[in-house]
Amino acid sequence: MAADNSGVNSLGSPNPGNPTQPDPSLPLAGLRIIDFTVVFAGPYGTMQLADWGAEVIRVESTTHFASTTRGMLARPALATVQAQTGMGMGMPDSEPGERPWNRSAVFNAHGRNKLGMTVNLRTEEGQEALERLVAVSDGLVENNLPQSMERQGITWERLSKINPKLIMIRMPAFGLDGPYKGYRTWGNHMEAISGHPLIRTYSDLSPEYAPAGVPSDAASGIGSALAFLMGKRYLKRTGKGLLIEAPTAENFVPLLGEFIMDYSMNGRVWTQMGNNHFYLAPHNVYRTQGEDQWVTIACWNEEQWQALCERMRRPELADDPRFCDNESRFKNKAELDAIIGEWVADKHASWVLDQLQIVGVPSGAVINERDAIEDRHLEHRGFFKRMTHPEAGTHKTPMTPFKSMNNPGVGPRRHSPRLGEDNEYVYKQVLGYSDEEYAEFDKKGHIGMDFDPSIP
Amino acid sequence: MTSQQGTNRRDAGTLPLSGVRVIDLTWHAAGPFGTRRLADYGADVIKIERPETGDPARDMPPFYKDEPGLERSGLFLYTNLGKRSMTLNLKSERGRQIVLDLVKDADVLVESFSPRVMPSLGLDYETLSGVNPRLLMTSISNYGQTGPYRDWKATDITSYAMGGAMINTGHPEREPLHFGGHVAAFQVGAMAAAATSMHLLGVEASGEGDHLDVGALPVWMGAIDRRQSYLMGYQYGGGNSTRPYPAGALGSGTWICQDGYFMTTAGPAMFPRMMQMVGMGDLLETPEWSTPLARSAPERLDESLAVIVPWMLERTKKEIRAECQKYGVLGGPINSFDDLYNDEHLQHREFFQEIDHPTTGPIPYPGYHVKMHFVDGGELPARKRAPLLGEHTDEILRDVLGCDDAEIASLRAEGVV
Repeated sequence: MAADNSGVNSLGSPNPGNPTQPDPSLPLAGLRIIDFTVVFAGPYGTMQLADWGAEVIRVESTTHFASTTRGMLARPALATVQAQTGMGMGMPDSEPGERPWNRSAVFNAHGRNKLGMTVNLRTEEGQEALERLVAVSDGLVENNLPQSMERQGITWERLSKINPKLIMIRMPAFGLDGPYKGYRTWGNHMEAISGHPLIRTYSDLSPEYAPAGVPSDAASGIGSALAFLMGKRYLKRTGKGLLIEAPTAENFVPLLGEFIMDYSMNGRVWTQMGNNHFYLAPHNVYRTQGEDQWVTIACWNEEQWQALCERMRRPELADDPRFCDNESRFKNKAELDAIIGEWVADKHASWVLDQLQIVGVPSGAVINERDAIEDRHLEHRGFFKRMTHPEAGTHKTPMTPFKSMNNPGVGPRRHSPRLGEDNEYVYKQVLGYSDEEYAEFDKKGHIGMDFDPSIP
Repeated sequence: MTSQQGTNRRDAGTLPLSGVRVIDLTWHAAGPFGTRRLADYGADVIKIERPETGDPARDMPPFYKDEPGLERSGLFLYTNLGKRSMTLNLKSERGRQIVLDLVKDADVLVESFSPRVMPSLGLDYETLSGVNPRLLMTSISNYGQTGPYRDWKATDITSYAMGGAMINTGHPEREPLHFGGHVAAFQVGAMAAAATSMHLLGVEASGEGDHLDVGALPVWMGAIDRRQSYLMGYQYGGGNSTRPYPAGALGSGTWICQDGYFMTTAGPAMFPRMMQMVGMGDLLETPEWSTPLARSAPERLDESLAVIVPWMLERTKKEIRAECQKYGVLGGPINSFDDLYNDEHLQHREFFQEIDHPTTGPIPYPGYHVKMHFVDGGELPARKRAPLLGEHTDEILRDVLGCDDAEIASLRAEGVV
């Protein structure tokens, strides 16, 4: 099984001995993916493939620390960890622990179900191990600076000679050719180039205050997973693997479709919209009782607007010439927002939300992480699953964001891999190295669960 | 802009989803964006629309030349590229029967009604799978098919709030901000397309159909803005996230430059590269600047601003971008859509595709999310424009369902199509 490279027929035959134990009935069971992804966009994509049953092997190195993947630094000082709480950063109890790289909130959020191996690709035997891995895998996913992959010999030209059935997904920020090929960016800079911060920022503040916030990471992750599936179908049809580019910019810009359509149809350039809609009113966020508590309210149609007026006990507003149709409301939205703002100011956001949803008005409280973890709807749907990580403890992990009637097993099975956790399985069972050869890899520094002491 | 006219295009019959038929009962933004992805990869997507008015998205701005009309909505034109349109009254018995007939030979059905609608139309999964046991049905809804919020209403702003990412977007002393346009909804569509494609592999392998419940709230909770890691960070004891102050981290923020604004990210760990860039490199040897911990002191932030702010003011976006590249600093200009469309890189990549339409004539659309390097040659083909309302009704009745002219006339007379 370890050397199964049929690709076409491997669906439904899981790899025996895989420590993450994918259920054979999972849609991607039996497929093996090499994972060179970093930070978030790439790992979120391979998380999908692993959730769906693929054997995803993260290839890392004890001699290289990719910042922000397993934390900002390999060995952060206690004070640095304490300063980085919240915002998806941080470590359990704000302590770095013995191996901080196994305790990063970011990594442990998306690493589930994946295997961890370490190898130094700057050596001959490391490259030989990579070649063996490529030969027995169905896919490879990476989202690094294109040149840095190419420097390590990770190119379609080379790998497709080893395995012509390989489906290789590359997710650079901007593409494998063009003037920005070598741009170093994170999602927030790519989104800035794509025009997103400028449209969403406050209308009355300088664009210096344009907020970051990165839907592009997840969008690209999902896009890359879809791309792999399409590559798999192409393989089935032709017997051939292929290279697919899924640049994060080209996965994100399509989400701004209407703005681009308005530009191409009418030459209009939207800017600094804040919470305004293109044309709907009311459509805003309103401060409610409590510290930093807010509720969003929007009306699609007259029925919803009238229901809102009724619920505010202001039925006369529905006939008020300033607000009697959407066009008037949009024109007078400052006055309208003041009226709604006053109504909610002394109420709890969740009360407003409940009251408005009962009468069919779209409304949503601006929730925080605690609200999400305790949410009764998510609880009812079993959205969170408790998982234990050997070095981070037991926490709730979100399930796959959809449910399948016949495949309820899609989702988290095992904790995020500790650095090098699955070396023995990968080297011996997947790559077929003997005990002696494995010991040699160990001696030469490929195998390990610690980053080299020289790495800060 | 030459991409659309390029000759190196594959035959549409050899694409990854060629031969896969999708019955598309989605409307508005999220669902159509998802089924459009399937059409992009070659699926035959039959979009079922209400007679007379069609998908409500046809009535949503932006309109071509700002004039409303069923064939003029930019939202509709964009999210329905490459589909066929058939009108059908789902509330009539003959209309319902036509859906069942279509389902018999279909691989996938995607719908995005409120959870109560399909059962009320007599088109629940049990009924559909009775007609075609191999059918993969994907139901897209705001909150999922089950749970206390099942029937709640949502729009992009309310869902962004409920999904959790809004609380940390914006300025700490101001109201939180949502995403632009339909970013959140389109994200749900993208997830639905991936989930559907994935389970389609399973269905094809096992021969057993399936029903997928894609709830938008769970999508946002897991995906939007790296929510998943925020939820983990909170449980690790990091507290709830907040809206951060701009330029609150070393070398990170949006700066005024000579011709606009420029965003960079560094933080104490990556700041040395930026120090080299802005001429502070000499300080790296001093104890105040030599380690990430030393660089975390608040005084360092103030001292850095005194250098970075004037440095940025003296340079253009393009010059700063080049310097960032040279020193390995993460950054990018704050662009408008003008800048985006005219961006040298996207133009080089031929990302925008020109597509002709009877209303608009040829205009540019955002392109594919991938570039497929097919080893047997060719690229993904030029996309076909969005269908006119009911443009393919007769063709589908005739070719897919085998209706003759008399039957078609009778369906039309009864207002079924």
